[in-house]
Amino acid sequence: MAHLQNEQKSDAITPENRLLLALAENLKLPLLQIARRAELGQIKPRQAGQAIKDIELTADAALQLLDSYLLSLNLANEIPAALEPVSVPAVLAETAQKLEGLAKRYNCSLELQVKGRYEPVIAHAGGLKSALTSLGMVFIEAQSVLPHKKPATIQLAAHHSRGRIVAGLFADVEGLSADMYRRARTLYGKSRQPLTQMSAGAGAGVFIADSLLSKMATNLRVAHHHKLSGLAATFAPTSQLELI
Amino acid sequence: MARVLLLEPDFQLGSMYQQALKTGGHEVLWQRTAQDALHDVDKSGIDIVITELQLALHNGIEFLYEFRSYHEWKHIPILVLSHVSPEQTAIGRSLWEHIKITAYHYKPRTKLADLIESVDKVLALNPA
Repeated sequence: MAHLQNEQKSDAITPENRLLLALAENLKLPLLQIARRAELGQIKPRQAGQAIKDIELTADAALQLLDSYLLSLNLANEIPAALEPVSVPAVLAETAQKLEGLAKRYNCSLELQVKGRYEPVIAHAGGLKSALTSLGMVFIEAQSVLPHKKPATIQLAAHHSRGRIVAGLFADVEGLSADMYRRARTLYGKSRQPLTQMSAGAGAGVFIADSLLSKMATNLRVAHHHKLSGLAATFAPTSQLELI
Repeated sequence: MARVLLLEPDFQLGSMYQQALKTGGHEVLWQRTAQDALHDVDKSGIDIVITELQLALHNGIEFLYEFRSYHEWKHIPILVLSHVSPEQTAIGRSLWEHIKITAYHYKPRTKLADLIESVDKVLALNPA
């Protein structure tokens, strides 16, 4: 059966450049969106104002993804990483705010689901926010593609589990399983679509998020929040500093 | 005016292609998944299919094979508009001819005006 030639020669791909390859593949989309939006703005001059807003939004999202990737490289060189007590609910709230414009553009809604008290966790504050934002971008793009009976909702949520704090993004994603995600982690940078069940694209935001979180001694894994599946990281709460 | 089926998973790109093709005078049915696209073809008469190969849930090549397996749709021209360049697909010319791809456009190098022109040319060569 004919298939897309979606694998690079394995000896040309090192672990270091896999993430870069995924990022490069991913960045084609926002640049393409910007180019075509600009062209459409010229074909339909009445839409020029909206075109400019769309271009700004898309460019900001692409820059955020680039910044997240660069931060993951910088954190790798920072030994020890500048970790500090961080409030997970606060980071989730900031992430929701940052993603709001993009979600609206893609016809998705975001819900913040953080009930109860959460002790601070030791993390890199900027890295955690970048990770969740990059992850959010993939979820937003994915939700807009997948068939839904009602408008897509993405939850930025946290909950306690076995004395630890689980924080991540959750949505109505069929087929998102531990096996699927494990396979995707071996395929990114080599395959154009490592997350086929979720996304038509490279999904670089997921793997950049994973790279950032690995610098905080955690990783993304498939998790569930109420009836929704998603990708989340687990943190041990710290009593180092109680935030009121 | 022709009825175009556009299979494009990205929300922003799909909207732009749809608007551009409408400006070119065509009616556009835009779907984001292969399953919904096949449903549309079944429900409505389609004059031309424009499809991305990189789809969520399904492989675009699988969609094309399935599409061409239906006898009543064998005459409908297919135009590929994809993130994947033709050199990067593993499909040889003979298979393209077997699936009967009328035109292949690599998205980064295909402006909206180019797409409209290509659709018009294909439709002129393949009148309904």
